[in-house]
Order: sequence, then structure tokens, then C-alpha cells
Amino acid sequence: MVNLVLNENMKIYRRVRTWILVGLMAAFVLFVNFIEWHSDGKKAEGVGWRAALQQENQQYSEILKQPDLGEDDRTFYQERIAINDYHLEQNIRSTDGTMWDGVNGSAGMMIVITIFTIIIAGDSLAGEFSSGTIKLLLIRPASRVKILVSKYISFLLFGMLLLLTLFIISIVVNGILYGFGYMDLPLISMTAEGEIVESNMVLNLWKTYMLNGVSTVMYVTMAFTISSAFRSSAMAIGFSIGALFAGNIVLEALQRFDWSKYLLFANTDLTQYLNGHPFQEGMTLSFSIGVLTVYFLVFNLISWLLFTRRDVAA
Amino acid sequence: MSNEPIISLSHVTKRIGRTTIIDDLTFDVPQGEIFGFLGPNGAGKTTTIRMIVGLMSITKGEILIKGKNIKTEFEQAIRHVGAIVESPEMYKYLSGYQNLVHYARMVPGVTKERIDEVVSLVKLENRIHDKVKKYSLGMRQRLGVAQALLHQPSLLILDEPTNGLDPAGIRELRDYLRHLTRTEGISVVVSSHLLSEMELMCDRVAILQRGKLVEVMPIQEFTRKNDQTQTYLIQAQPPEQALLTIRQMDGVQDVKLIQDGLVEVNTERERIPDILAGLMKNHIRIYGVQVVSQSLEERFLEITGGRQIG
Repeated sequence: MVNLVLNENMKIYRRVRTWILVGLMAAFVLFVNFIEWHSDGKKAEGVGWRAALQQENQQYSEILKQPDLGEDDRTFYQERIAINDYHLEQNIRSTDGTMWDGVNGSAGMMIVITIFTIIIAGDSLAGEFSSGTIKLLLIRPASRVKILVSKYISFLLFGMLLLLTLFIISIVVNGILYGFGYMDLPLISMTAEGEIVESNMVLNLWKTYMLNGVSTVMYVTMAFTISSAFRSSAMAIGFSIGALFAGNIVLEALQRFDWSKYLLFANTDLTQYLNGHPFQEGMTLSFSIGVLTVYFLVFNLISWLLFTRRDVAA
Repeated sequence: MSNEPIISLSHVTKRIGRTTIIDDLTFDVPQGEIFGFLGPNGAGKTTTIRMIVGLMSITKGEILIKGKNIKTEFEQAIRHVGAIVESPEMYKYLSGYQNLVHYARMVPGVTKERIDEVVSLVKLENRIHDKVKKYSLGMRQRLGVAQALLHQPSLLILDEPTNGLDPAGIRELRDYLRHLTRTEGISVVVSSHLLSEMELMCDRVAILQRGKLVEVMPIQEFTRKNDQTQTYLIQAQPPEQALLTIRQMDGVQDVKLIQDGLVEVNTERERIPDILAGLMKNHIRIYGVQVVSQSLEERFLEITGGRQIG
């Protein structure tokens, strides 16, 4: 099994296109962070963070005076004020104007990781069929299930590589732009019980990565299933990336139907439970995890059935 | 050495939808034999080979390789098989050596030395670290042979192995296969639609037509006449009279006049002097007698009934 994964890795990393994808990933992170810093970050350095937070609190207090403010918004602004006050009292600066502002913002670029990993996963099996190498691959003492699993592991590893690229480059580039001075700045947040806590910024970042990673894994699994079912890279890559972008549009159109909460797209974004605004009333984190697990199992079952049972004819 | 066949097919049938592609194939290949599959395009040669290596499922019957069932004991059975299924497609973006490493990793016990050994066997030492996309077709074929032999298989399966090889390459492959069967006792199953090639290569041939096994026989038997009579051409003047004279004789068949004053006759060798004497007695001038040797193609068409794609 280890050997099979080594083989799959060789087939991924000995190709120029893989390194182009990794290079593009790095370039995107550099570019976006630089633009952010150029347009926003420099300003934040100018004004003191204390002044900025005080100003923010004033604005929030104004908003809270509005009588027709919704319940959700009211609690949101109250929380923000409490957190800002904590910053001011404990003399812990906010992330504005520090490297963490850029690093945390870069986590949003995980969609690029999803797209690039879909490209590798969608071509992984279909590519072997179109080049004809599948024949020589399958006449070895390794069952088709093992081949399937080794391929799956190999592009999850590729996704991890892209994630590490994102992490390291965003730390380094933001460190250079803003300075590494606030490396150990804690994250101030409020728990569900209304308690203000300090937590490690890096740990929190990886928590965000992992939550976003769930969606990556789902779309990549979908691409692999299509790749296995239709043996066409173009279809697997095109359809999965299409679904990734069209998903939200479809959701908006279908939100009024109760059953739309069972759609894959409604559940891939687990961060919806962090900010407390789920797609539909009554959806919970465990509901989404349940739905995702079912999709995950169904996708893999289809891949397995279609790959192990069908003849290799062409 | 055991007498157990290396590969044994019994009542193998393949159906796709309602069409029967392969119909009840049964044959064994003993150790050290080169066994040929002959048949027109579409007869089911490639399908049979794909079932043997497990790329296609078997609708009915079973295939045993060294006693292991390819369906239920795939990993143990396929371990003994090396194969080229149609043209050997390799990973073009990898070097020849990396391709071999790739396949070596999939079978336990293939050492680095063994890789070097097969590389020198197929004479690719100088180019083995080049990317496969820079290889010529002949070099790709040789790399294909190398990957098939890498794990020292007991059974080598070659589907149209000479496609794309030049005459020297074909000869080299042939000599090499002979060498493998004689010295290492490897059995070879090879398919081709080129009869002359099969005649030089195989010990036994199976003739496949429309998915059915028409005949299995040693190659000598296949190329030899199946009976005692042969066709002769007699050049005589005047031909019309010669025709009438021969027709009246005993032990002759299919006497007919063909162009240029040639009379064709099917008879036993011993009847020829009598026929000639008879002609001379009737004052017919004889200019020549010629044996028409039946070509492999004709023999093949005779066996398969002349129908090409069924």
C-alpha cells in the first residue's frame, strides 16, 4: 500500500503541471497579500489601534441605539464591544495592522486549493484511461480497491501540500510586510457562554483551515467519483468546479424549499455554525456532519462500484 | 517440473448485453510452450487476452493461472503473469527507468539489480533515463517487454506484440521468446493476425473465429496439407484436349482449364506419371508440371470458411 502511494506521488510530482499549480498557488498568495497590504494594511499602521477600537465601539453603540435592530444583530454588536473592551483593558492590540490580519485573511484562498486539487483528482484516474496506462497498472498483484485508495490518499496529500504552501507563504510574506513583531498575539473571542477567552492564533488558523478543508475534501471526492464513473478528466474537473461555483446560486434559488437543506452545497461550509447563521433554521453542526458523511460514503461507494466492476475495454 | 498447465481455460464465455463475444473456450497451455491465437480482426483475440489478465470480467467458465483462479484469487494469479496488452502505453512524462520502478514497486521482491538486468536485456541502457515521450516506437515496445519480464513471470501474454516493430525488431523478439521458453520454461500466449509471423514463432496455434475456437493444433500440422492430394498445374497444348483426356482418368478431381493453356488438377502424387503418360499417348505436348503449394492464407481461409469479420 505504501508503495502504491509512492507510485501515485511519483506520477503527481514528476509532472511539470503539478509544479505550475503549486507555483500559481504561491503567486496568488503573494499577490493577494501584497494588494491587501498596499490598499488597507498601511493605513491601519498609521492610526493607533486603541483609537481605532474606540472609534469602532462608538459606532457600534450608535447602531445599538436603533430601536428596530434585530435580535441577532444586537447580540453581535454587543459581543464586538465586549471583545474590543477586553483588548483595551488588557492592553492586547487588535490584529489590524499586524501580520495576523493578512494571514487570517489568506485562509479565504482555500478555494484555490479546492480547485487545484480537483484538477489533480479529476485527472488521476481518467488520465490513466485516456493514456492507456490503466491496462498495465491493473495487471499487477494489487487489487483495484488498493489502486483506488492509493490514488485517493495521494491527492489528499497534494491538498495538504498546497495548504502548507498557503500557510508558510502567508506567514512569511505578511511577516515581511507588517513585521514579525506580533507573532505571539493571542486571539480574543467569546465562547457560547459569553465568556471572553484568549487562544492561540496559529491553532485557531488551523481550525479554520480544517473547517474549510471539509468542503475541499467533499468536492475533490466528487471529482474523483465522476472521474471513475465517466473516465473523462474534462467532465470530472469541469463538473466539480462548476458545482463549486454554481452551488451557492442554486442554493439561493432553492432556499425556500425545506428539502434544500439536504443538498451537498448547503452543508459544505461548516463555518456557518461559527458565525451562527446557518443556511436554514434548525440546521445544526451535527446535522451537517451527518449529511456530509452520507454524501461522502455515497460518492466513494459509486467510485468503488464503477471502478472495480467494470471492464477495461478501450 | 510438474505437468500442471501454466494456464487453463475452461468453458470461458463472455457476453456483453445479448451478444456473445466469446463462446465456450477451453484449452490449456503447458510449461515452456509458445501458444498462438490466430483469427481475423474481431474474432475475440483481444477480449480473451483481457479476460486472462483480469481486465475484463468472465461471464461463464473459469481461467486458472498456475492453479489460481483469476477471478477469485486475482493477486496470486496475476503475480505469475507478465503482459503487453496491445501497444504498451507507458507514462510518457516519466523516464523509462521511473516507469520500471513504478511497476517494480507493485510486485514484492523485484530488486534494483533485477531492473538493471531487464534494462540490459532489452538493450535500453543508454536511453533508460530519458523521458518515454522521447522514445521511438521500437524503444517503447522494448520497454514494454522489459516491464512484462520484470517480475520473472511464468506466463507471458503478448497481444499483437509485433505491431510497430521493424523486421529486425520482430526477429529479435522472436529469438528472445524462444530463448525464454527454452531456458526458463516460461509459457507464452501470443495473439496476431499475421500468419507468417505465427508460423515462425509458435509451437501450437488456436484458431478463433467469431468468438469460437475452430481448431487447436501444432503449427506443423497447420501448415502441412491435411490430406494426400495436392493441386498441380499442367501446361499442355492443345489445352482443351488435355482437359478432356485428364477428366477421363481415375483418381483426379477438380479438373479445370485456367488461362494460358494451363490445366489445374487435384490428385495424389503417385498419379502424376500416369497422367503424363496418358497425355503423351494422345499426342498432347507437355511443357511443364507445377505443384501449387497452398499458402498459409488460403489454409487459414479454408479453416475459417473464408469469412472475415463475423
